Amino acid sequence: MKKKLFLICSFLLLLSCEKDDICDPNTPTTPRLTIEFYNNLTAVPTLKNVVDLGIIAPEQTKGFGFTGVSKISVPLKINADVTILNFIQNGSNLITTDDNIDIVTLNYARKSIYVSRACGYKTNFSLNSTNGLVRIDGAANDGFWIQGIQVVKSEIENEKDVHVKIFF
Amino acid sequence: MLKYFFSTSLLFAILFANAQEKKQDSLLPKTERYGLRVGIDAVKLANSFLDKNYKGIELVGDYRLTKKYYLAAELGNENNTVRDNHLDFTTKGTFLKAGFDYNLYENWAGMRNLVTIGLRYGASTFSQNLNSFTTYNSNQYFGASEPTLINQKFDGLSAQWLEVVLGVKAEVLNNIFVGFSFRMNRLLTNSKPDNFDNLFIPGFNRTYEGNFGAGFNYTISYFIPFYKTTSVAKPKFKKPKA
Repeated sequence: MKKKLFLICSFLLLLSCEKDDICDPNTPTTPRLTIEFYNNLTAVPTLKNVVDLGIIAPEQTKGFGFTGVSKISVPLKINADVTILNFIQNGSNLITTDDNIDIVTLNYARKSIYVSRACGYKTNFSLNSTNGLVRIDGAANDGFWIQGIQVVKSEIENEKDVHVKIFF
Repeated sequence: MLKYFFSTSLLFAILFANAQEKKQDSLLPKTERYGLRVGIDAVKLANSFLDKNYKGIELVGDYRLTKKYYLAAELGNENNTVRDNHLDFTTKGTFLKAGFDYNLYENWAGMRNLVTIGLRYGASTFSQNLNSFTTYNSNQYFGASEPTLINQKFDGLSAQWLEVVLGVKAEVLNNIFVGFSFRMNRLLTNSKPDNFDNLFIPGFNRTYEGNFGAGFNYTISYFIPFYKTTSVAKPKFKKPKA
């Protein structure tokens, strides 16, 4: 009888293990847009670190600052088919006189993909082929600091891929 | 889980109490009764009243084939809604499990309790209705994501599985049995909906990352006797010590 009780107790233990209730942070869920920065002056493009790059959505009060990196990730809106981001050269430092704003509009289609019980669904993005990426100069009319911008992968399904290359 | 533990202890108490009462008459002829036992799962019944997200019923039955073997089956229907952080879905469907139980318990004369190990083949046909989901977005820069109402139905789903069943049944009144069973399930087939998953399967219960699952029931059943057999127990004498 003791043996049976032991078996039943093991069953109870088994039932209480529910580790798949919490979404593992390593699980790929809704991806961000990954951008790589390149030197525009070299014949063969080489990775170039940004310095005090500020990125902010115009309707937001806070943005992201990047410095000393050549690869960054920024979020896209999961409840709209368009995200506008201001890329501000020297934008993340305290000096505002040297800021140069280039406005990048991303137009895309969204798709909900099932992940798991704990994570639910994620949103994948697909940049439009005609107007996936539109760059205009900011209000200051100071010219583009971004010399070139191109989509290298329009399907945004994970953050390991580089989706956009920026030359400056 | 505490209530299960409590009911488990109660049943074992009944079994042991019975065992002690009738120790003296082991030499009397043993009457074995054969018949059909039918009953209902009290857990599913109670949850149907207590849990507004659940409606379910499970009928159980077994038929005694030989001294130790019983044909056993469960038939049921479940309508279960799960409201998790990121998912809200309703599963509806019917299940049938069939197999056998083997009684490990050696009864004293006149007792008809069971401690069984058994096997079932289970099958279910069901539908999943994805009521809403909240997109998982670890980046909250544009605000937390809102639930998306979609009310999408996935019909014609099915699953098959095997269950190993550990069970106890005790006769509490003449021909009335209460019992419980723990079940370890393993999926054999599982037709998953497109861009969703079978997170709950009627009869199988909650699914996990692998193919395994678990179940429990607490049954109240009635035994309908068909016929009896009588066997005279062989007396065992202890050799006197020299």
